[in-house]
Amino acid sequence: MPEYTLISAPPLAGYDKDFTGAALKAPGDLAIVAVALPLKGEAAAKKAIKAAYGKALPEPGKSVASKDGARLVRLGQDAAFVIFTHATPDAEAVVGGKLKDTVYVTDQTDVWTGLEISGPNARTALERICPLDLHPAAFAVDDAYRTVMEHLGVLIIRTGEDAYLLLSASSSANSFLHAVETSITNVS
Amino acid sequence: MSQVNRIEGGLIDRSKTLSFTFNGKAMQGHPGDTLASALLANGQTLVGRSFKYHRPRGIFTSGSEEPNALVQLRTGAHQEPNTRATVAELFDGLNATSQNHRGSLEFDMMAMTDFVSPFLSAGFYYKTFMWPKAFWEKFYEPVIRSSAGLGRLSMQEDPDIYDKGFLHCDLLVIGAGPAGLSAALAAGRSGARVILADEDFAPGGRLNAETLEVDGMAGADWATQAIDELSAMDNVRVMTRSTVYGAYDHGIYGVLERCTDHLASSNGKPRQILWRVYSKRAVLAAGATERPIAFGNNDRPGVMLAGAVRDYANRYGVTPGQQVAVFTNNDDGWRTAADLAAKGVQVSAIIDSRDAPAVCDVPGARHVRNAAVVDTVGRKGLKSVTLTDGQVIPVDCLAVSGGWNPNVHLTCHQRGRPTWDDDLSAFVPGGELPVGMAVAGAANGAMTLGAALQSGRDVANAQVKDLGFTASRKAAPKAEDEPRECAAFWHVKESKKRAWLDQQNDVTVKDVKLSHTEGYRSVELLKRYTTLGMATDQGKTANIPALAIMAECTGKTIPETGTTIFRPPYTPVPLGALGGRARGKDFRPYRLTPSHKWAEENGASFVTVGNWMRAEWYTRPGEKGWRDSVDREAKNTRESVGICDVTTLGKIDVKGKDAGEFLNKVYSNTFSTLAVGKVRYGLMLREDGICYDDGTTARMGENHYVMTTTTANAVLVFRRMEFARQCLWPDLDVHLISTTDGWAQFAVAGPNSRNLLRKVVDEEHDISNEAFPFMGCGEITVCGGMPARLFRISFSGELAFEIAVPARYGNSMMGVLNEAGKEFNVAPYGTEALGVMRIEKGHATANELNGQTTAHNIGLGKMVSQKKECIGNVLSQREELIRDDDIRLMGFHPVDRNEKLIAGSHFITKGEDAIMDNDQGWMTSVAFSPNLGHSVGLGFIKRGHERKGEIVRAVSPVHGKEIEVEIVSAHMIDPEGERLRA
Amino acid sequence: MIINHPLLGPRDAAEFIYLGDACLIDRPDWQAEDAAEQFYEYGYLRDNPAGEHQELWYHEQGDRSWLVVTRDTLSHKITKVELARDVAVARGRG
Repeated sequence: MPEYTLISAPPLAGYDKDFTGAALKAPGDLAIVAVALPLKGEAAAKKAIKAAYGKALPEPGKSVASKDGARLVRLGQDAAFVIFTHATPDAEAVVGGKLKDTVYVTDQTDVWTGLEISGPNARTALERICPLDLHPAAFAVDDAYRTVMEHLGVLIIRTGEDAYLLLSASSSANSFLHAVETSITNVS
Repeated sequence: MSQVNRIEGGLIDRSKTLSFTFNGKAMQGHPGDTLASALLANGQTLVGRSFKYHRPRGIFTSGSEEPNALVQLRTGAHQEPNTRATVAELFDGLNATSQNHRGSLEFDMMAMTDFVSPFLSAGFYYKTFMWPKAFWEKFYEPVIRSSAGLGRLSMQEDPDIYDKGFLHCDLLVIGAGPAGLSAALAAGRSGARVILADEDFAPGGRLNAETLEVDGMAGADWATQAIDELSAMDNVRVMTRSTVYGAYDHGIYGVLERCTDHLASSNGKPRQILWRVYSKRAVLAAGATERPIAFGNNDRPGVMLAGAVRDYANRYGVTPGQQVAVFTNNDDGWRTAADLAAKGVQVSAIIDSRDAPAVCDVPGARHVRNAAVVDTVGRKGLKSVTLTDGQVIPVDCLAVSGGWNPNVHLTCHQRGRPTWDDDLSAFVPGGELPVGMAVAGAANGAMTLGAALQSGRDVANAQVKDLGFTASRKAAPKAEDEPRECAAFWHVKESKKRAWLDQQNDVTVKDVKLSHTEGYRSVELLKRYTTLGMATDQGKTANIPALAIMAECTGKTIPETGTTIFRPPYTPVPLGALGGRARGKDFRPYRLTPSHKWAEENGASFVTVGNWMRAEWYTRPGEKGWRDSVDREAKNTRESVGICDVTTLGKIDVKGKDAGEFLNKVYSNTFSTLAVGKVRYGLMLREDGICYDDGTTARMGENHYVMTTTTANAVLVFRRMEFARQCLWPDLDVHLISTTDGWAQFAVAGPNSRNLLRKVVDEEHDISNEAFPFMGCGEITVCGGMPARLFRISFSGELAFEIAVPARYGNSMMGVLNEAGKEFNVAPYGTEALGVMRIEKGHATANELNGQTTAHNIGLGKMVSQKKECIGNVLSQREELIRDDDIRLMGFHPVDRNEKLIAGSHFITKGEDAIMDNDQGWMTSVAFSPNLGHSVGLGFIKRGHERKGEIVRAVSPVHGKEIEVEIVSAHMIDPEGERLRA
Repeated sequence: MIINHPLLGPRDAAEFIYLGDACLIDRPDWQAEDAAEQFYEYGYLRDNPAGEHQELWYHEQGDRSWLVVTRDTLSHKITKVELARDVAVARGRG
């Protein structure tokens, strides 16, 4: 038995709040692993992803949910995220184990902080900080874009009819939460 | 005072009465009133004093173009100066005051400036305050300052909040008058996403001001019906109280929405929102602005634009006077006379500059043909007007119409130039319009109602078709085309008295002529010399008549004379709205280190480093100042062990088969040969050979390196490396990802650092000097299986490690390290002690790598490999950059150990004058070294490496001080590096 | 301004960082006889055209791709947007 134990304390752990017309929640145990497609090894990597997750790697700006609940997010030409629920700090090994040596994996779990915003006012609230067009015709369910909100880089994924997962840097989590909360209260 | 000028009709709600005050006087109005209409209803004709001459002024217009009726609204911290009464919505309890007078509005002590006006012509300031020079600061400037400006700021913090936002649409329709409504209806019916924005609180534009019919119903009713239809469409967003103030690149528009200005209180919601609208196409339907005619004393309260007089009567049920005359050069002016007469207001005369028959029958009014007004009487309110033939007509209101100018402003925001239309005697949109913009209605010269409605529909249909929508086949709403003949007539030459053009900046016809006489003939010079059009109304009613007069003077045509460039904003945008949320602590985001909470609980003070908040020191009980804490932390670290959160240093995971090869190219030294499990210091150059950034890079695996950058350059280095990867060497298999926020990293430094870490690192990992030597690294576990990265690197110069755990465990890790280190007297240290120790050790940071220094200067010249391709190595070998007699980084000790060194001091050889010619270099960093017991410094000095032991002077002319210093090795602590290898 | 990203569609220029002339892709050969002269030109000399200009933009708040944007410096009209990697490969870099 080691003498000391480390306790997990992500910046917004346990945050869960209802507002008029919108709910805001920091999802627990969100693991994020970056997947890089090797140069000239893209085909093999995509094949391995398809085999491991049962879904083809989507095009840049899109995401797809696999059967086991993991979400594959294509960020750019050679970069993707696998986002899944996983508590222990070995997410990189989990994804690495599935994809073997076909890709380069890097744990990003603690780089980001997640916020789920949902409800009828969610889109109206995001209008105040998000420069992207979130109209359903322009931003379909599962679309995933990186952009900037209140000077902070954000990955926004439309996870439902009026639900979005927002990922921003964990070090500025408090500023990001403040920005989103302010938007919700300003439109409520 | 009662509403003496209230007449029948209008779009106001008479069932409710609103109370307000003007200069303390209690008055009443109704919902639907503006402050201006309510003031007029209450017979308040005099509302302010002019800027320069303090002339009594009244309400001139009924819209956002108002030059005169600028008032101060509300009280206390909410006080807002320079608000146009013509667009301020009335609410119950509104408190308004007039501006720009000393003493009361009626008896302004500054009005004497009007009587000395012959001395205050255009260019007066330039000519007068030139001499004597000494007078400027002591006398002229204070006097000018005290008399300048109109309203007064509250000098308190703005208690309201402001917001920003982003909107997207296929088609933005600017203006909800007849053309705009017709356009929005057509586009909305096609299914396109439409935003309809209008500055007014009641959409309809001139439809609300006129008695004209659309589709067989009153224009205002039709507008309401159109808005109802639009509001019911899911694809249409109607924005009232929203001014489109600027047209920017690629279909982006700026919109200011006034959310709560019409309410007594904002109730915690944003007062205004600054929207950025992304449109694929736009229809500008901004309407037209009426222009005045210049004649003697045409600025008296009671002289108004004819369209405004009609607006007050029809929309607000207010007559601006009991006895009205109309002075016009066009048919439209006649409608004011007709509408007023129909409402029972006495119209005494219609003075038409044209020798033409009556446009319509106006009961009780005399038609004076081929005539003009030369002068007026009535200082604080119009009493009579005098015509060219000398006859005097007693009136308390004169409605003036000089024709209408299309509102082309937004068409010019991308430097498009309007073209002159002879038929309209006005500028219409021309040249290249902003991308995606088309113009409809009066803004495009379709000056009659039927034509405006038709043009709105047609232009919108063309726009949506262009986007691939099927245009609705529904016909445009039907209306008559009213008479609109106009004969250009700019000013009354017979007038002997001053005739105003720009009422807000007090520019007269004479000023324009003077400007011409003195050679300022281009419109751009005219504007700057006379200040024409430079007030808050941007000369909306003034510019065209002034241009016409300049054209007359020069004998050129108006189009040859040209216009000044219209720039955003169309109407003023408050700074609060531009600032949005970015105020106080919300000015920018903050980044917190993983151990922030622990640091807060343990006495830390924080310093902002970029967006980061870092602990600068940890105050312990009994410590009187920061030096006490910093000295203790630095000493304790060297004597036993200290811990510092160094998470802020940039971390970039570099992966790929060619990762080593790639690092060879971005670093000046070689990394492909680095063994797995080893760390190397790396120096990056800019392409010009100057030092860029430095840090350590660890090889964690065959295809995996972990690079660290300085805190300040983390983002820049990543950007640069992506450039190298994608643009310079796209054939390499290498991938970059930032992990800065992912790992909580702590420096554990000092002779006891290994002993401390031994207690938290899991037993199976051997961290002895043999197994884990200096510059070793590895993936280990701590506290029973927690994955961690361990690096044996040292910024302090002591035996030291940096240990990283997943960031969510960082706060806990800081606690554990401090708990485990108790037996070694561990102490956390902040950025100040970190700085002290790196200076003692001679490690360079931004003070030394300042964008001007080379590897050679910092003594690392040999590190720049010439055997491989890398950024900066070619130009780093330029003659001047590798001179042997160039500056070198050295350490400096004061000869008198009690002296405190000054950063920025320049080195002068003993016995030479302290002048730039004798400059030998400069001190870059200084600190008090608690370990050496005196002040120490780092600095660059010529041939420093050959001058160890020499005494030079460190001179700071700024402080008026010089100190004798000894040149020593930059490594002032443990120069042989024995400690870090222990 | 709006930049029409070849993979991600139209994006506000606020998501991007501007670098400069796309000639920065054409980094000289470090082993050339006149490498110093070539690097001097590469580092310091730029055309400043009034009109069409090929320039590098970095999608920092996006997919981290470098783009070559063809923009008219007088009107800001953008006629072409390419991935800089593709341009670099086409110009013979790898």
